Amino acid sequence: MSAGGAGGEATGGIPQNKLIALGTLGGLAGAYGGHFLSVASPAFAFIGALGAICAIVWGGAAVRRVASYGLGTGVPSIGMMALGMGVVASMFGLAVGGIAGPIVAFITAAIIGLVIGVLANKVLGMGIPIMEQSMTEIAGAGALTIIGLSVAMTGTFMFDAVLETVVATGYIAVIFIAGGMAILHPFNANLGPDEKQDRTLMTGVEKGAITMVVAGIVATVADGASAIPSILIGVIIWYIAFSKYVKLVNRDAYKVLGTGLLPTEEELE
Amino acid sequence: MEPLMGMGVLALMGAAATIAGTTEDLESDVGSQSNPNSQVQLAPQMMYPHRIYNKAISGEPPSNALICAIGGTVASVLMTASLSVIFAIAIGALVATAVHGTYCITAYMGRTASQKRFRQPIYLDILRSHTPVMMGYAFITTFCILVVSYIMVAVLAHPFPLTLLAFIWGITVGAIGSSTGDVHYGAEREFQNVEFGSGLNAANSGNIVRKAESGLRNGIDNSWFCAKFGGPVTGLAFGMTVFLSGWVTAVFNPATSLTMGWLSVAAGVILVLLMIIWNRKIEVAARKAFGPYKEEEEVAA
Repeated sequence: MSAGGAGGEATGGIPQNKLIALGTLGGLAGAYGGHFLSVASPAFAFIGALGAICAIVWGGAAVRRVASYGLGTGVPSIGMMALGMGVVASMFGLAVGGIAGPIVAFITAAIIGLVIGVLANKVLGMGIPIMEQSMTEIAGAGALTIIGLSVAMTGTFMFDAVLETVVATGYIAVIFIAGGMAILHPFNANLGPDEKQDRTLMTGVEKGAITMVVAGIVATVADGASAIPSILIGVIIWYIAFSKYVKLVNRDAYKVLGTGLLPTEEELE
Repeated sequence: MEPLMGMGVLALMGAAATIAGTTEDLESDVGSQSNPNSQVQLAPQMMYPHRIYNKAISGEPPSNALICAIGGTVASVLMTASLSVIFAIAIGALVATAVHGTYCITAYMGRTASQKRFRQPIYLDILRSHTPVMMGYAFITTFCILVVSYIMVAVLAHPFPLTLLAFIWGITVGAIGSSTGDVHYGAEREFQNVEFGSGLNAANSGNIVRKAESGLRNGIDNSWFCAKFGGPVTGLAFGMTVFLSGWVTAVFNPATSLTMGWLSVAAGVILVLLMIIWNRKIEVAARKAFGPYKEEEEVAA
């Protein structure tokens, strides 16, 4: 039943390797850029959230690829799992890694993802050809999303500051759910046989921008990060992405009607 | 705290939770979220195009966890900036509602656009009329969940921060809305043209009721139906969960002695057992009272 995806490999659009490069390099550059430039001025903390958006788009693309094998109701689960693996890996990485924290977290996430992917295919017998690679990608994207948003909230990825401002205050909960939804929602919202990659990824940018705004709101109570740049840039990115998304929907839909009756029998034939 | 005060606080939390549960279920009914969504999604593919809002944000637990966590975050930030609690909670719920609106719109437009080959049009009037209704319900849900979470932090001195509590209660209200409320929309409303209790025959898949008493049926018609029973019963279920889970420790306070702690555990276990027996009795009575379901059961046995 194609209600849960086309049942085969997702096709079209930007090749996955380019998106992997965007997510990994963008995510790490965002985390490090936000961290080092925030020392000069807290206003630069928003760069962390830009990195998170790159990671979210990558994660959304990876979910799209693996969920196209008919994973209908499993799409939300896989998004939550991405951030579940990401939280474990990023806390571990930041705790032991010091300045190499994001890289350690990223590698840890990739290993956890690979193990879960192998378990899913070999032990549970899900038999999805790209499962191992996709779980590795999703876990990595989840970890980079968490680190990027933490940098936007605190201005640093040093474990003590993140623990104090993000974890102890409970804001990690909003990172978890807003980041996870941003990764799972793009494919879930556009699920169907006529899904297009550019529309799905544009939803990812739009949802990523919302997480950026939320991170900016949290930054108002943090010393190392300024709120205004994150909120302002987040709202601008959201507006642009949302307008583009609506354009793409108008391009792809069968009809966009102000109002009207159902299609007639002849029309459906 | 005085035991009587404790009971009063619990009653307030229970009342807020009851409202939150009701509005959570009605919100999901307007947009056909969660379990009933699969049939709304399937209908155009089986040649049944419709004018029902197709909103798959995810299951209800993550989607409510999202709005409650965002509301909790904003409220907590505003309280840190020493704004009054009521304003902080109201503004938090407002921001969460705005985010929820964007999720609703992308879900409806995206899913419908991806059904091009089944000739399902996007109706903008459905988008414009339903999205504010869902945002309104989401606002009430978030507000009430934040009230419950705030009372736990400020009055009951719960060790968790506000955001985390709101997140956890968001998952809980979504889970209860999904398990209790969906039945009254899915089986009873989408398939009210088939005999009660007959289950969903594969041949009926996607053949949901698309025409209303007058005109074409939409999501708001569905919430009108669910507001009679499904929504309130979800509210009662969630209110009871919040009230009873707090009641056992309010009556037998574990802080006073270890014995009291064990008594509260025993009281909790007894309550759960009572519920199981009660539910079983309702199920058996329903099977006896209604026809085809019972006959088929006997044949199968």
